[in-house]
Order: sequence, then C-alpha cells, then structure tokens
Amino acid sequence: MSKNKSSESVKVVVRCRPLNRKEESSGPVGGIVQMDLRLGQVILRNPRASPSEPQKTFTFDAVYDGNSKQRDLYDESVRPLIDSVLAGFNGTIFAYGQTGTGKTYTMQGAWLDPEKRGVIPNAFDHIFTHISRSQSDKQYLVRASYLEIYREEIRDLLDPNHSSTRGLDLRESPETGVYVQDLTSCVCKSIKEIEEVMNVGNQARVVGATDMNEHSSRSHALFLITVECSQPGPDGRKHIRVGRLNLVDLAGSERQAKTGVHGERLKEAAKINLSLSALGNVISALADGRSGHVPYRDSKLTRLLQDSLGGNAKTVMVATLGPAPAHYDETLTTLRYANRAKNIQNQPKVNEDPKDALLREFQKEIARLKAQLNHRRWRSKQKKEQVDCEDWGRDSDEEMEDEEEAVETETDDYVKLEEQRLEREKEAITEDQFLLVEEKQKLLGDLRKEQEATEQLTAKYKAMESKLLVGGKNIMDHTNEQQKMLEVKRQEIAEQTRKEREIQQQMLVQDEETVELRETFTSLQQEVEAKTKKLKKLYSKLQCIKAEIKDMNDEHVGSRQELEQTQNELTRELKFKYLIIENFIPPEEKNKIMNRLTFDPEEDQWNFQPLVPAQSKFSQMKKRPTSAVGYKRPISQYARVAIAMGAHSRFRAENIMFLELDMCPPNPSSLDCLAEAATNQTPSQENSPTRNRDIHKSSSW
Amino acid sequence: MASFSSNEWKAVCAKFTNAQQLSDVESRTDPENDPFRSKYKARELLTEIYCSLKNFEAGDGEEHDDGETSEPEPTEEPLDGEKPVDLDAFSRGWSSDSRAGLRAARLAAVEYYLGVNHVDTEELSAGQEHLMNCMKHLGKCRVSSENVSLFIHVRNQLGILWAGRDETEKSQGFLETAESIYQRYMKENGSPPTDMTEYFCSEENQLTHQERTKKFELAYTHTLYYLAQVYQYFGENERAANYCYSTLQRQLQLNQFNPMEWALNAATLSQYYITKGQYMEGRHCLAAATVISGLAGEVPSEAAAQESEAERDRREQLKQKRSEIARCWIKYCLNLLRDAKKLLEDNIGELDTDRQDELRRARRREEEEEGRKQALLFGSEDTFDSIASVEEKVSYLFPLDFTEARAIFLVGQNYVNQAKEHFQMDGFVTDHIEILQDHSALFRALAFFEEDVERRCKMHKRRVDMLEPICNDLNSQYYLLIRRQLMFELAETYNEMMDLKLTLANRQEDSQSLDNHTIKKFNHLCSASAKYFQMFLDSLCSPEGKIPEHLEEDVLRPALVARFRVARLHSKLISSSPPVQLDNLNKALENYKYVVQYCEAHPEAAAAAETELELSKEMVGLLPLKINRLKARMATNN
Repeated sequence: MSKNKSSESVKVVVRCRPLNRKEESSGPVGGIVQMDLRLGQVILRNPRASPSEPQKTFTFDAVYDGNSKQRDLYDESVRPLIDSVLAGFNGTIFAYGQTGTGKTYTMQGAWLDPEKRGVIPNAFDHIFTHISRSQSDKQYLVRASYLEIYREEIRDLLDPNHSSTRGLDLRESPETGVYVQDLTSCVCKSIKEIEEVMNVGNQARVVGATDMNEHSSRSHALFLITVECSQPGPDGRKHIRVGRLNLVDLAGSERQAKTGVHGERLKEAAKINLSLSALGNVISALADGRSGHVPYRDSKLTRLLQDSLGGNAKTVMVATLGPAPAHYDETLTTLRYANRAKNIQNQPKVNEDPKDALLREFQKEIARLKAQLNHRRWRSKQKKEQVDCEDWGRDSDEEMEDEEEAVETETDDYVKLEEQRLEREKEAITEDQFLLVEEKQKLLGDLRKEQEATEQLTAKYKAMESKLLVGGKNIMDHTNEQQKMLEVKRQEIAEQTRKEREIQQQMLVQDEETVELRETFTSLQQEVEAKTKKLKKLYSKLQCIKAEIKDMNDEHVGSRQELEQTQNELTRELKFKYLIIENFIPPEEKNKIMNRLTFDPEEDQWNFQPLVPAQSKFSQMKKRPTSAVGYKRPISQYARVAIAMGAHSRFRAENIMFLELDMCPPNPSSLDCLAEAATNQTPSQENSPTRNRDIHKSSSW
Repeated sequence: MASFSSNEWKAVCAKFTNAQQLSDVESRTDPENDPFRSKYKARELLTEIYCSLKNFEAGDGEEHDDGETSEPEPTEEPLDGEKPVDLDAFSRGWSSDSRAGLRAARLAAVEYYLGVNHVDTEELSAGQEHLMNCMKHLGKCRVSSENVSLFIHVRNQLGILWAGRDETEKSQGFLETAESIYQRYMKENGSPPTDMTEYFCSEENQLTHQERTKKFELAYTHTLYYLAQVYQYFGENERAANYCYSTLQRQLQLNQFNPMEWALNAATLSQYYITKGQYMEGRHCLAAATVISGLAGEVPSEAAAQESEAERDRREQLKQKRSEIARCWIKYCLNLLRDAKKLLEDNIGELDTDRQDELRRARRREEEEEGRKQALLFGSEDTFDSIASVEEKVSYLFPLDFTEARAIFLVGQNYVNQAKEHFQMDGFVTDHIEILQDHSALFRALAFFEEDVERRCKMHKRRVDMLEPICNDLNSQYYLLIRRQLMFELAETYNEMMDLKLTLANRQEDSQSLDNHTIKKFNHLCSASAKYFQMFLDSLCSPEGKIPEHLEEDVLRPALVARFRVARLHSKLISSSPPVQLDNLNKALENYKYVVQYCEAHPEAAAAAETELELSKEMVGLLPLKINRLKARMATNN
C-alpha cells in the first residue's frame, strides 16, 4: 500500500442504467449500449448507422450494466479506496455523466432500501464498522462536511440558514493549504450521526425537476469526510494519519459549461463556453505559457479537488450512461471523456502526522484536562488534611491516577468519607466546641465547590473523550473476528474478480497476437522451404560464376603479360629511334619535320603535311576565262573573216596544225632544245621564222 | 398572404412575443427546483405557433402548391455536419421575398427557437433535430437581408452543440460557414438585415436599422468567439488569439461588455503576446485593460463595505481583478527585463558591451526608419487617448542599460506593491508567494544591469530577506512544490552573493590575502547556499529519509544541479585547519560521485545535466589527488 514511488492512474468504471419506462414506450429499438462484464468492455452501437459499420468499443477497469447491484459496484470498485482512506490516503470518488443517467443514484441511492443504498451510505457503513472492529489502541476522529457548488458559488449545506448567506470563499493558509472559509464541519460518532448530517444536507441541495430527469441535480455536491487515526507507533509516540474522502456528485455533463467546471485540470472536458463572459477561459488556455500570469485558471471545483486529479489521491471515477438511442452522441462523449480520464496519473501518499490534525488537538486538550483534574484532586486532599489533623492512609499513586472511572469513584469515596468524618467531628465538636462549627461548614462549602469543579472537569473530559472513537470498545470478539475474516475474504474475492478481468483483457490481447503469430508461423515454414531451394540454386549459380571469374582473371593476367612485353619492345624501339634522331638529324630539320607531322586518326598513322597548303593551290590557279565560244582566245571579227578567207600569216598561231606545202629548210633559231625536238618530231611543223616566233610566244603562255 | 391581417395572424404574433418573454426574461426567475418552468411554457407556445403556421400555409397553400412543386427542390443538406463552404446559398433557392421563401424563413425561425429551447433544457438530441430542420428550411432559400441573420444564428447553435459533444471538427464546419456567410453578405449587400424576431411582428413594431445592425453584429461576434474556442481546441493558438482579439475589439465597438471582465480578458490576452515576445501588443492589451477597468468605477471604501454586503462583495471583486491586472503588468516587466538580459548576456552571464552597442545602433536605425506599426488597436474614440497615455509610462523596447532597466523595474515594483495589497499571505498563499517570486526575479534581472558589485550584492540581499522567512513558514505537505522552488532560489541567491563577494575581495586587495572578516562573510554565504541546496535535496527524500533511487523527471535536473553545486560549495569553503579542509573536500567528492554514479545508473539522466556531469567526472578524478596531498601534508606536519 505504502509504496514510495507509486503513481497510479485514475480508476474508471462505467455504469449503465436500464431503460426507463418512457424510453421503453417510445421506441422498440432497445438499448444502444452492450456491456461485457467479464472483460470490462462497453460496446456502443450507433442507432443511425448501417449495421455494417463497426461498433465502438471501450475498455475500462470495470463496467456495470443495468442489472448490477449497488453493492457490487461498491464492493468491487469502491471498497479498496475506502480502505486506503482509512489507512491515511486521500481518496476521491466522482460520478460523471449526462443528466438523468444515475449519478445521484450511484452516489446516494435510495436510503430506506438497504439494497439500493449508494456509495456514500455504504462508505459510512464501512468506515464505522472498520472503526468498531479495530484494536483498542487506535483512536479515530471522523468529521464530515457537505457543500455544493452552484453557479461557481460555494454553499455550505450543513449551515441551517445557508440560503440566506452568501457563498463561501476558498482561501489558503500557509499552514493548511486550500480550505473553505467558515465551512461547517461536524464530528460524527456513529453511522446515525453521519447519516443525519447527510440528510440535512440533501434537503438543502438544489434539485430541479426537468423533462429529462425528475430529480436533476443542478449543482456539484461534495461530501467531505476526514478520518483521523492515532496509533502508538513503535517509538512509543502516537502517530496520526489523516485520510480524506471526497464524494463528488457532479451536475449533468451538459451543464458543466454553465456551472463553470472548466479549469486547468478538467479541461479534458472540452466544451464550448456559451456566454461571452467566459472568454477569459479561452484566452487563459492560450496564455497558459511558461512565464505568463493567467488570471483565471481554475474553477472552484477543480481547486477543491486539486489533489484528486493528478495529485496526492486515489481516485475512482464512475461514468454513468443511459442506453437510450436518442442520446447516442452524449453517451459517446461520456465514454470518450472517461477513456481519457484513465490516463490521469496520481501520486497518492499517506498523510502522516500532519500539523493540522484535529485529533492531536483533542488529545492535547484531554491530557491538559486530566492534569488539571489530578491537580485539583491533590489539592482537595491537602485541604482535607488541613481539616482534620488525623493521619490519613493514602495511596501515593493516587495522584497520577489515569483511569477515569476510578477517579470518579474515588472522589466520591473521598467525599463520602469526608462527610461522615465531618459529621462525626461535628457531633464531637457540637458537644464541646461550637465555635468551630462555622469554620468547618465553610470548609465543607469549599469542598463542595472543589467537588463541583472536579465534576465539571470530568464532564468536559468525558465529552472530549467521547468524541474520540476508540476501537474495540463494544465488541463481541468472536463475531467480530469472523466478520473481519468475511470481509477479508470478500475483499479477496473482489480482488480476484478484478484480477480475472485484467487477465482476461490481457488474454484477449494476447490471443490476437497468437493468432497473428501462428499465421505468420505457417507461412514462415513454407517460406523457409522456398527460400532454401532458392538458396541452393543461387549457391550453385554463385559457384559457376566464381569459376568464371577465375578463368577471366587468368586470361586477363596472360593478356596483360603479353601487353607488357610488347610495350617493352616498343619502348626499346622508340628509344632506338630517338637515339638515331638525336644523333643523325639536325635539330632544325627535326623541328621542321615535327611541325609538318600530323596524325591521321583514320589511318592510324603519322602523315606529312604537304609543303604547300593544299587548298591554296586551287585558289591561286584560276581557270582561264573563256572569252569566245570555240576559240582559245579572243579573236576579232576581222581575224575571223581572215581565217575564213584563207590562211594568213598573221593568224598562223591559231592554226598550228595548218600546214602549207612550203618545204623550206628549217632556220636555226634561239629555241631551246626541248622545243626544237618537239617541232622536229612534229612532221607538219612549219619551219618559218615567223612560225618559230609564234611558237616561242606560245610557250611563254 | 390573405391571413396576414387576419386575427389568427395577430394571435400568432402575440404568442411569439409571449414565448420570447417567457424564455428570455421569466426563465431567469424560475425556482431552483423547477428550473425550466418558463422554458417549457415557451416551448408549448412555439409548438402551437409551428402548427398554426403549417395550417396557414396549408389553407392558402392550394393556390401556390403547384408553384412550390414546379420550383426545383434544392438538394438536401447532409444530415449532420456541414459542407466546408456552402456559399451557393447565395445564388440558389427561393428568394426570400417570394411567398415560399418567407414561409420557409418563418418555419425555420420557429424551428430555430424550438431547437434552442431544447438545448437549453438539456435535451440535446431533440434540439439538434429542430436545428437541422431549420437548416433544411433555410436550405431552400437564398441568402438575403431578410434571413441572413437566421443563417448565422442557426450555425452558431449547431457549432456549440457539436463542440459540446467533443466533435469539434463538425462545429468548425458550421462556424466557418457562418463566418463566410457574414463576410460575403457584408460585401455584397451590407444593408442591416431583418432580425428573426421581426418575422412575427406587426409593421409598426419593426426594429430600427441601428438595432438591426447591432443584433446582427452581435451574432457575428459570437461566431468569432466560438471560432476562437474551436481554434484553441485545435491548438492553432495564433489564429485563436486573433479571433479573441477581434471578439474583444467588437465588444468594445458595440459597447457590449462588462468593463471588469473585458479588462481581465485583455490582460489575459496580453500574457499570450508576452510569452510570444510581442511586447508592443502585450503592452497595448495591458494598457487597454487598465483603462477599461477604470470604467468599472471606484473601489468602495472600507466603511461602505462594512455597511452593506453587496458593497463588500463589489469591493472584493474589484480589488481582486485590479490586482490580477497588476500581476499581468508585473509579468510584462519581468519578461521584458529577462529577455533583454538574455540578449545582452555573454557566455558567462555578464553584460556584453559589444552586444549592447550593437543593439543600440540597431535601435537608432529603427527609430530613424520610424517605429514598427502596431498590429493591434483597441478602443473607441473616448478611450483611445487614455490608453496611449498609459502605454507611454513604460517602454516596450528592450532595456539596454541600467537606467532603462531601472525604469522598467520601478514600474514592475510599483505593481508588485499594488498586487500584494490584495493578495496577502493570509488567504492567498500561492498568489502571494508567486508575486514575491516575481519581485525577487525583478531584482535579479535588474542586478544584471547594475555595474557596481556592492549594490548588486545588496539587491540579492533584498531577495533573500524577502523569501527566507516565507520558505520556513510554509507547511511542507501542502506547499511542497513552492517550498522546493523557494529553497532552490534562495540557494542560488546565496551562491550569487558569494560570487560577488569574492570578485569584490579580489578586486580590492589583489595580492594580499583576504582579511578575517571577509573570509567569515564568505564562508557564511557559502554554507547558507549549501544549506538550502541540501534542504532541497532532503525534500526529495522519502518519509523514512532515504534518497530516492529514481528521480522523477520534473526534479531530475534540479536535483543533479543541486548536488553538483553542493559539491562545489564544499570545495570552495575557506578554512585554515587541514582537518576541516579534508572534511570539506571529502563531502565535495561524495557529492560529485553521486552525480556521476546516478548518471551511470540512469543513462537517460545524463542528457539533463551534461556540463555538470562532465565537470563532476573530472573532479572525481582530480579531488582524490588533492585529498591525498593534503593528507600527506598533514602527516608531515604531525
């Protein structure tokens, strides 16, 4: 229980009420909520959707359907919480849901029918039975307060004239933290008393009748029970533990935007605020930054329940549902909200030796009173001694007498004895000493006063002590133990069912996993076979390729060696050629040749560039222009006529082959031998000097 | 219509007025145990109206029955949800001055009121049905000045309804359509539209144009407000903030606000801008808040408060809200100083003069280029000047030297005193301490700008004086977190003071050894700091006094840092006696070791305190050497 670093999440249970008469009559559709009690699942069917649409499933710590009994819910879900409150934890139970889904029924139930009593009366029962059965060295103090928050105003339901006074203030003190100023707190000694407190409060609560719900709670109601328990610890000192139990009955969830439940902690219930005056809440959510100051932040309810949501408390949330199809959307919203609430983490801690424990104050007060009582008794004895001078056999330990009953009887005894003695003395004295009578009577009066004071003190002491409930006072041990056993067993059973449910939920998850696994498994085996085959095939392929690679490698090595050899030869030749060039060819020549060399990539060899650039030859040597058709050169009209007319020496040049029967010997001339030979070879050549001149001319062209 | 002037129609109108009266006025005074009495009555009346409307139409429906069928029936709206932008409503459907259009609008209006009535009486599903019917009727009509108001209202209501069921996407659809209908209408038409109530009014009771505009604009303001919530829900904070701003601005313009509430909202909005670093906007919001809160009237005097309860309530309320605004101002000053500090800090946390000059130049340049344009502007004509004058009292620029910082600090301090007046220790513990923490942080930020070491030290001393008594007074069970914060802050303050004393001493007597008094002072500060760190660490322990094996995430870094600091402080203590020195060194080593070991055991913790871990590792290596040397020296001396 008292684990150190124990953060646990809010426990969420869901409860669904049965269809009521109105709903049954209005439609034959039946409920939209199905519950699987064993698995803790709620299945929600959308009445408007087609049947094929998947239903929504939510899983919770526990679910209770329309047939469930108040007792079941209490035993399974609430009892462990109350036990931890008795052990000094803070606990909170709150009911959340749409209006008319049974929040108040769950929390309070019907008082008269023991079957239908809700969480709150059952918790009373539990607490006081626990106290009466506990060991006698434990002392308890139980206090109860009852308040409601209506329109962001705190009202004390136990204050008889609460409606006339204004709302209470939430304040903080450095010593005790957040508290409600002037809140009535009743010390309760029995179930009857605390039930009385509850009834008084319930009558003062704001309940309205609406079409949706005849007894609709218009406000959030908080019943606060503080259980202080003092027990001597191993070190001999008394240790005080304080458990606080908050029982919260919220107003219907659709009212929460109006009643201001919004605040930091409950902001999961994201509702749009209707009135513009709540604009601040919105902005404050925006400005909820690291270093800004947010003037709104949280509502009174969340401040009061600060510890219960994400703080030092154990929390059970009961979400209530209605099964009517008309409220599908609201039910869904409630379920979603409850689902989110599962994630809130709390860090419950035992409240040990808190400074403010009222129990401690009471104990101190009692101790003080006791001391006073003893003191007084001692003084009265002294007085007695004064009164009669006789020696009085007294027990020395009387002064420190603790037992209260003993004190009383003893005082009584004293008084009686004293009175007798006084009587006797009186008799004696009246006989001879009348004077003393007055004095003695005065003393007697004194004594009476003393006695009265003692009695008053005793009464006060008793009253104080009776407020403390001491365990084990009125027990029939046997039954008690048996009942305890029974309780333990019941707890065990509840625990078992809870565990079972958990295990089943787990099992469901695991089942799914297993199925998945199995499927994958069979397919895996096949896959393995296929893969092995493939592997083998691939392996042999791999071997082949390896061999191939080796062959290739060898080949390459061979060819490389060959290439190297040729390269060597070529280098040698090249060197030789260089040697020749260097030694035999003058460098200018070499340069000239080098410049002329060009590489012809097509033929793969070096060629000499021609000395004269090839194209320039063509551009210089233009063709002779042809001036007249058929003639080699321009011929004047006259010449043509002359030709036509007959031979004339002037134009002989045009007709070289024109031979006349003129056989004169050839004259020596200045012709060069080549030309002469040519003419000599030509049998029809003219040998006239003019002709020679022509020839000369022609050779000059 | 023939029936317009008839008595029947008059009866319908009377019923309608009656229903309005019932649901708006009388429902407020309904008894608590019968909260919806008037609403139910109103509902009955509305249902009757609906029936008789149907009858009317059926009666003279015959003549235009064919007209109705001949007209193409507009396509059905989707059952729930809204098409993202449904603006063809402007172009298709009956025009509203046609008979059929008017009829549809009237039916839609009655359906709308029925829907709202059901929602108000907690029958959401029924309400939804009526509202969807209203949409259906409207779907047959074209948007016009006769019915645009209804178009927007019904979408507002549906938006709220769906948001209440956590289906914010749906409500976003409705609200965004409402917004675009408004915008389009204003662009295309813009004449003051008929209010729904006018459908059932006689001619002489029609509203004036001003009233019409006001009602219509108010409906749109609501749309904006709901959209702000929707966007906030989706985490689009900037957009949501803009919508909040426009809501506030419209409230101011339409003069529809409660001054105190408005002021508080503006102040809250300022906090959003401040955390975003937009100080000009933040200042504007705050100044507006201060001015508008002044409109709420004077705080009743104490004497008046004692006489009547109402006055006392009002006094409390006003005081509280003004103090809240003052706290927002404190945060403004504090953040401004802090951010400036962050800008000017060099890597050892001292004032960086280069940065200072650079920023000065930048500011001058900006001034020459004429200052930034203000993005927000609140205010009607009459408040505008006063807002500006409040704004002038404090700068929105980062302070760059001590005088500027001091000006901001003084403003902040002024508000601190104002806020403390209401948030007293007795009754408002958390708030009071938060204010003190802010005050201390203001001093801290100011000390950064102060050049005189002596005076800086005094500022820190003020912080200690402020926080120390409170830290010891608080109940450790209820105020665990606050106490931890205070302890840590105190320890750090002492640490800073010690550092300052050390620099001071070093400066004064460079070569000489420290005199006795200084050493005593120094050791006192040192041990005080160590004490508070140790207290902090003790607060983490379990009730049995054991150190937790696993530190929670939120205290992980502080705890490791505290350990590290304790170790450093121990090794810094000056002592002339070797055994004491040895003792201190051993303690230091122990704490260094703890840090190293914890990080080894929890590797994820190493990231939280990287530099500390590194140094600790080094020290764990070095300190044993030092200890051994000391031991050796002691041995030889003996």
